[in-house]
Amino acid sequence: MLAVGIDIGSLTTKAVVMNEGQLLASEVSNTLDEAETSALVAMTGALEKAGADDSPEKCVITTGAGGKAVSFANRTKAITTCLARGISWHDPAIRAVIDIGAESSTVVKINDRGRVTDWANHDKCAAGTGIFLQQMAKLMKLSFEEMSELSRNAKKGAEITGTCAVFAESEVISHVHRVPPTPMPDIILGIYLSVSSRIKTMCKRIGAGENLAVSGGVALNTGLVETLEKELGQRIFVPKDPVFVAALGAAVLAEEEMQKGIQ
Amino acid sequence: MMYAGVDIGSRAAKAVLLEDDKIISSVIRDTGAESVKTSRKLLEELLEGTGIGSEDIDYTVATGYGRVLVPYANENVSEISAHARGINWYFPTVRTILDMGGQDCKAINCDGKGNVTNFVMNDKCAGGTGRFLEMIAEVLNIPLNEIGTVSLGSTSEIPFNTICAVFAKTEAIRHLRNGVARADILAGLHEAIASRSFNLLKRVQLESDFAITGGISKNSGLVAKIAGKVQLEPLLCDDPQLCGALGAAIFARDKSVLPSARAKMQYGYDDGTGSYFISLDEGLCNGCGKCVEVCPAGLFKLVQRNGYMVAEVKEEARKRLPVLCPGIETCRNTNGGVTCQMVCSERAIEHSW
Repeated sequence: MLAVGIDIGSLTTKAVVMNEGQLLASEVSNTLDEAETSALVAMTGALEKAGADDSPEKCVITTGAGGKAVSFANRTKAITTCLARGISWHDPAIRAVIDIGAESSTVVKINDRGRVTDWANHDKCAAGTGIFLQQMAKLMKLSFEEMSELSRNAKKGAEITGTCAVFAESEVISHVHRVPPTPMPDIILGIYLSVSSRIKTMCKRIGAGENLAVSGGVALNTGLVETLEKELGQRIFVPKDPVFVAALGAAVLAEEEMQKGIQ
Repeated sequence: MMYAGVDIGSRAAKAVLLEDDKIISSVIRDTGAESVKTSRKLLEELLEGTGIGSEDIDYTVATGYGRVLVPYANENVSEISAHARGINWYFPTVRTILDMGGQDCKAINCDGKGNVTNFVMNDKCAGGTGRFLEMIAEVLNIPLNEIGTVSLGSTSEIPFNTICAVFAKTEAIRHLRNGVARADILAGLHEAIASRSFNLLKRVQLESDFAITGGISKNSGLVAKIAGKVQLEPLLCDDPQLCGALGAAIFARDKSVLPSARAKMQYGYDDGTGSYFISLDEGLCNGCGKCVEVCPAGLFKLVQRNGYMVAEVKEEARKRLPVLCPGIETCRNTNGGVTCQMVCSERAIEHSW
């Protein structure tokens, strides 16, 4: 019997297939208008990769923004719970995970049993989220890798507001057009710092201070993670495939669910 | 006498030319990237066809975000004061103003003379500003000046549960793809902006009469939504976008008329032992507040008179001046050599003893 975890985010849907504690396959697809279809597409892809036939016996747990709208799910779990389980599967020593998704950022504090003890979430506006970073990358015509690379040459972060993605965009444009123009690396560092300041506030609010990890698509932006490390004054663990942490957590929960059923 | 008011906003630059009590000409153009160039161009366009040269303008006051970037302005005032003064010119009964600009939104209280008594602003987030509407107009592919009218044609409004411009844009695109009518999307967005503006208004005193100024008030759909929430019929002047520039022009007029009218104030009294007066020439005082800082007895305070900050001697101190004020000579010796007369760059302060 397979355990399937599906994380339906605002931009992408992630599915993970597990069997008896072993990670078999994972798949990511774009989130469509209907959560149900998105979940089905991602799950089918993951099951195919795992080499499972069309309709194996399985337990499905969904999470994320569209998690509740999936009819074939056995259960729906909160994103915070899934993030905690997912990151604990990677490294049980982690005490807090910073998840930066497309349209929200979340910090979850975890105890030694992988349970959530506290969390803070920001989903009211685009400042400090993945969309913000994506918009900036598009504006400067750079990939995330190029951004990270350039940010390492920065001398001093340019001043960029952390409160509004729209205003930040105008600020970046005015930095570029300034005489003399602000160097590109400094602008990028400024962008990273504006995201970091949001994250830092959330960490402070719930008192997340040690054994940190990042997850979500933005974790692949190494420059941002490095800036976060500097700002928070410690190393931050980046799991393999950070995008799948929540989906993985859902799959782990599905396994637990099945064990309960057997007992 | 000719007076010019220039309002360099974040998105649009406006100018008004005033001859005593009559608006001679006005102009609106995009601010663009180079404010100094824009402000020069603005003046050219303002004077075009009027037969008036720039040398004929007696006084110019600048306002708005770019107010320091107007090289030909004699001085500048904040856009908050300018809007209050501008609306007062049209409607002296207005006590509450909602100024909706390109990149911020302000709720202002003012008195019957157009002096600001209180204000709150949102300039931290693009939600509910002109930029927000611009982005939405772009997504829906409707000209900015038509979205208000289109929104009024809505039959079933789509609720938006975000005020973030970025999220609203994605949400609007999603609805558009699902075949929702543009009017319904617009009505929902207008509702979101209106409730945000209303929240801002609730933080000041919501007194009648109520007016809306700034470029967004040309959007009839939004004005209708706000009117519904506030429960007051908003007053709109001829061109609400020009209100700030007009206010600045009125400041210019008052500034060049008032100095003669502004008196030399004398605070103090005569008695058998001598006359004890501190006089303050309000025509000279620039409201810098240095005298307030240095006076060891704390005799001065700043007040607003005719729209200007001026210093005056505190009411409670006026009858006890020789007791409280050590006198210029003693003050110089005891206060580290610093006196109110010395720090006043305009030489507006005198002591009679």
